[in-house]
Amino acid sequence: MTDAQQFETFMRNYQNMVYSTAMRLLANSSEAEDVTQEVFLRAYERFGELAGSPTAGGWLKTVATNLSLNHLSRYRSRWSFFSELFASHPEGGDTPEPEFAAEVDPGEELEARDRQELVERALQKLPAAQRVPLVLYHLDGLRYEEIAEKLGVSLGKVKTDISRGREAMRRKLRLVLES
Amino acid sequence: MKPDHDQQLEAAINAELRPLPEMVAPAALSDRVMRAIEQRARLPWYRRSWQTWPVAWQASSFALLLALFGGLCLGSWELPQTHTPALALHRVGEWLSGLHMIGNTLDVLSRAALLVVKKLGAGVVAACLISMALGYALCVGLGTVYFRLAFEKPKERSL
Repeated sequence: MTDAQQFETFMRNYQNMVYSTAMRLLANSSEAEDVTQEVFLRAYERFGELAGSPTAGGWLKTVATNLSLNHLSRYRSRWSFFSELFASHPEGGDTPEPEFAAEVDPGEELEARDRQELVERALQKLPAAQRVPLVLYHLDGLRYEEIAEKLGVSLGKVKTDISRGREAMRRKLRLVLES
Repeated sequence: MKPDHDQQLEAAINAELRPLPEMVAPAALSDRVMRAIEQRARLPWYRRSWQTWPVAWQASSFALLLALFGGLCLGSWELPQTHTPALALHRVGEWLSGLHMIGNTLDVLSRAALLVVKKLGAGVVAACLISMALGYALCVGLGTVYFRLAFEKPKERSL
């Protein structure tokens, strides 16, 4: 098997994890693809060390997280400022609630996949300021202090944003949470 | 807000988020990455990142940088201590003669600007500055609206 083939196999093993990490932080598929590509280009440069290493997954996840956060801070800050000016958020920065069609019965059992899709969508509709710390806390298992350090913000802001994010998720997922 | 409520909510959100499976990466992603790798491999070594340069070139470039840095440090240390400061200043003056010309030009321009301000009056100048700022704000605003309209994601189908 050539190096390229080995790397392709390696990439196929980890691409879903890397893509998920980027997608949940960025909530934008094309940006998540760009970040995933950059992660694997960097991985290729040090494939000699990563191939067969038990820490390869952790390394890829760390790089994907850092590149996504860099992307958010570098390319989104000005745009998000103006987009928030135009958006009308009655509850201090939350996005409008997702539209649940009337035929969805709260008592009806949702299939696990549908439920996860709803949660995924609700997460992606959160503003970045709430989504990012929420993902780092609940999905990546980071502590508040670590999140504050990673994002370069105060501990209080992290706690507030996570709390607001949870409240926004609760409102968006009230049907799921009640079932 | 009650601490109990916070804890319950944290547990509920945790219970929803933790079991989320990995998303499936687009099928074309691996091909795209492999193409990008091939493209990078075709680049000449000097256009790739420094870490991937041949070892000899890495060592040479590192040595060159060290030499430049050392020369700069040595120069900045030796120049003020030279025994013939007049000569040194003369040489520096020669190097900076181009800068002197630029300084003169800027001086003339600033005097002209002051004259314009005096003739027109501060009110007119302030109005010009305000209109420029408004124009800039308008451009940014229109650009933002355009970006939002042009690149807005299609609304997702409601469930």
